[in-house]
Amino acid sequence: MLKNYFKIAWRNIAANKLFTTLNIAGLAIGICVCIVLFAFVNNELSFDKMYSNSEHIYRVNMETSEEYNYETWPTLPNAVGPAVANEISQVKYMSRLIKDDFGSTASLKVGTRNFKEDGLYLADSALFDMFDFKFVESAGQNPFSRPNSVVISQSSKARLFGDENAIGRIITVNNNDSLEVSGIYEDLPKNSVIDCNMVYNILDSWMGTNEYWGNASYETYILLQPDANVAEVQSQATALIDKHVDKEEQYFTKFLLQPLTKIHLYSADIGEGYTSKLGSVGTVKSLLFLSILVLLIACVNYMNLATANSQKRSKSIGMNKVLGANKGQMLSLFYIETGILVLISIGIGYAVAFASLPVFQNITGNELAYADLLSLPILLSLLAIWVIVTIVAGSYPAISMSAISPLVLVKKTKTTYSVADFVRKGLVVFQFAASIILIIAVTVILQQMNYIRTKNLGYNPEGVVAVSVNSAETQTQIDNVIAAFKRQPNVESVTAVQSIPGANESGRSVRKLSTDNVGMPISSCNTTGGIVKTMQLDLLAGNDLPEHIAKGDSTNYTLINEKILTYLGFETPEDAVGKSINTELGDHSVVTGVVKNFNYKSLKEDVGGYMYYSGRYAPEGVRTVVLRYNSQNLSALIDQLQTTFNAHLPNVAFDYAFIDQHVAAFYASEEKTANTATAFSILAIFIACLGLFGLSAFTAEARTKEIGVRKVLGATVSGVVRLLTKDFLKLVLVAFLIAGPLAWWLMHNWLLDFAFRTEIKWWVFLFAGGMAVFIALLTISFQAIKAAIANPVKSLRTE
Amino acid sequence: MLLELKNIYKWVDQGGKRIFLLKDLSFKVEEGEFISIMGPSGSGKSTLLNVIGMLDDFQEGAYTFLDEQVHSMKDKNRSKLYKEYIGFVFQAYHLIDELTVYENIETPLLYKNVKSAERKALVADMLDRFNIVGKKDLFPSQLSGGQQQLVGVARALIAKPKLLLADEPTGNLNSAQSEEIMKLFKELNNEGVTIIQASHSESNAAYGSRIVKLLDGMVDNS
Repeated sequence: MLKNYFKIAWRNIAANKLFTTLNIAGLAIGICVCIVLFAFVNNELSFDKMYSNSEHIYRVNMETSEEYNYETWPTLPNAVGPAVANEISQVKYMSRLIKDDFGSTASLKVGTRNFKEDGLYLADSALFDMFDFKFVESAGQNPFSRPNSVVISQSSKARLFGDENAIGRIITVNNNDSLEVSGIYEDLPKNSVIDCNMVYNILDSWMGTNEYWGNASYETYILLQPDANVAEVQSQATALIDKHVDKEEQYFTKFLLQPLTKIHLYSADIGEGYTSKLGSVGTVKSLLFLSILVLLIACVNYMNLATANSQKRSKSIGMNKVLGANKGQMLSLFYIETGILVLISIGIGYAVAFASLPVFQNITGNELAYADLLSLPILLSLLAIWVIVTIVAGSYPAISMSAISPLVLVKKTKTTYSVADFVRKGLVVFQFAASIILIIAVTVILQQMNYIRTKNLGYNPEGVVAVSVNSAETQTQIDNVIAAFKRQPNVESVTAVQSIPGANESGRSVRKLSTDNVGMPISSCNTTGGIVKTMQLDLLAGNDLPEHIAKGDSTNYTLINEKILTYLGFETPEDAVGKSINTELGDHSVVTGVVKNFNYKSLKEDVGGYMYYSGRYAPEGVRTVVLRYNSQNLSALIDQLQTTFNAHLPNVAFDYAFIDQHVAAFYASEEKTANTATAFSILAIFIACLGLFGLSAFTAEARTKEIGVRKVLGATVSGVVRLLTKDFLKLVLVAFLIAGPLAWWLMHNWLLDFAFRTEIKWWVFLFAGGMAVFIALLTISFQAIKAAIANPVKSLRTE
Repeated sequence: MLLELKNIYKWVDQGGKRIFLLKDLSFKVEEGEFISIMGPSGSGKSTLLNVIGMLDDFQEGAYTFLDEQVHSMKDKNRSKLYKEYIGFVFQAYHLIDELTVYENIETPLLYKNVKSAERKALVADMLDRFNIVGKKDLFPSQLSGGQQQLVGVARALIAKPKLLLADEPTGNLNSAQSEEIMKLFKELNNEGVTIIQASHSESNAAYGSRIVKLLDGMVDNS
């Protein structure tokens, strides 16, 4: 019996080529998308689960006070870790983790060669036990048994030392500290948020030994005893604040334990830590949602085409019933048919998934290996997809078609109206509504991206290159290289700064009166002057910062933005120029100029108070030289800068970045979203079109006789085409009415993430509706025209 | 007695008017009869056959089939009954397009859960008897109308029904093919199968042992 079902099912599949091709194409695309995304999601969810202690490791985060808007930060003062480890018995191990020089790119020197390094960390030695570091070579039992030891990963070893022996060799960091390699460990897994390339002992640095409850720069990981109570540890840790910090100096109020396995996906609302391996659960969810939508649209195709086909098949169903089949047997037949079709689609989809992996990486920017597609969860998900899609896509046709009565064999008239017809229309509306929403979403996303790219930021990030001088040995070297850069052709202006916009500014406060307790938190950035010219800031009043400050002048010259101006209560920019203000910089700060507010951070955030300053006794140093150029030939420019740089700073690796690229990186995730949404929309719409194409073919076929009669009675070709397309266009209109408001609501919410955003314009809806109509017409018209130009004699004779 | 219809009424409401398809129809069939039902288009021939075949229901009256009260039966039992005892032959053959001749004939046995070896033997006998062994692997579309109807009859007989219902079995056939089918029916009837056929043609009807004339849903005794 079962064998027979398979035989019949297979013949049905093979007999109806159009139906089968459309269904398999749609399902295979949908399944391919799902498989790739499941692999991606699976990879995202696997983060940090491979560590043997993963369930008991937590990162300690802290909640700040009102002054910092109650933000949660993942970095703590360096005194917190030791206090937690010493005073809370349920804490077994603790390690602080901080990137060298607070996250600046380090310049390493091995022998005579310079290297840039982004993964140099300082940590407590407990890190190695907590995170299963596997040492392949080591100088002694404990990697940090000797002072100034550093351990490096295998790939770092290969980069720095090649095939040579590395143990005992010296690495000089930023022309300052000399570290001796004491161990080499296996590279950490790709799906680990701990991404150290090399680690040296935090206790060899003031960072580890001078414990303060002030500067919050240290990520702090703890391993709890297996039976520990997390809530209890959290409150015990919080209690340490009152114990160690005076009330009026408490700018954080609470410690929060974040499980290690949640760091990767659930850190979006937590400030920036040091890892480069952050994902977002929002992305995971929306990709999952989109992939299921695409698959659902493919399932809808199947339902539509299968039931549209039912007129043809009703005879054989009726006959089978007359010959003794019951409803259950017919059900199994249809499920088997669907099952076979889905299985073929899975085979094709899975194969295409392998082929499309590089495309997927290109579009979404997420890395996946072929091995990720072969993992057990993915293979299981294939099975799940098979069962679920068969049930979802197959149930409606199976149930409705197995109910067909044997009376179809003897009834001479066909029923014109049916529930199936209504359901089919509903499904088409669903597909079109989904397509219209996607078109609107993509249009709005692209508009916002365009808005971001073209918005006047208040400074000009284009044509500016930043060169790191963080590892310069002396101030003289910096002065000399600036002077040398200024002499280069194609260089308009050069300024050394503490930070490029939105990177390493210092947080401090300005106060209206020196006696005020609370001020306005601002970002301040030390510079050597000429900043207005170099960054092309919009000067409202006063002058650019001076490039030369006389010996003995202890004044800090400042350039404030409108936010600070308003806070301090000046009526006009001109009023502020020349006035003294309270800046925490030193004894005496004077306003040299006022600039328009500029977007030093991403457009997702509002503009805050920002102050450039310049002074002989500046509390911060300069790390970067920013340079405005007027050359088109960038590689020649960079070569020229590198030559100059190497001549003046021979012991430092040349590290540069273009400011416009730095700004673009703010929107990397939005760029990915835009690409992904576009790709998914195209796929979804394409699949929906496959279904519509099939459906219009069936409709045209079912109405062959009607068309024949109409033509005999004098209908024109265009009249018949209109007749056949009209019904579909009505459905598109209904879909539009449903999709429009939904899409507006969705995109309105998406845009709320941006402090600076475009508006959703009315023509977007018009465009999406027009596109839907256009696509529908394009798809349907082929069948409609074919039916319309057919010879009516033929169609009438066959009936 | 094989079956009896007593005072059967069947109607449809169309445009506010009640149209009777069968009107106070009573009808008795003994085992071994070969009945031809005749009457003009719309007289209710097909409807009567569908009612007898239990494919269609009726509003009033009593129907007894082998001493079972069909009118008071549940759908499930009713379809069990007709699957067991009744074979159908249609004017348009209604072979299953996706199945070969062999498989078409085999299908009723599959639904009756007949064992594979027995199925093979039964189908082989049938193919033999109808002289279509050479066509067993062809699909319906590869056969002529007469051959298709032959397969249709073979399929109707494979499960050894007591009653064969044929609605215009020769309606789509030429005269030579018609005659062949009618001769076959006669032969089957001689072997003991009860046959009720609906027909337009006097010559075909003449093969039957009894002719029942219908007019406007009633037996025309005039």
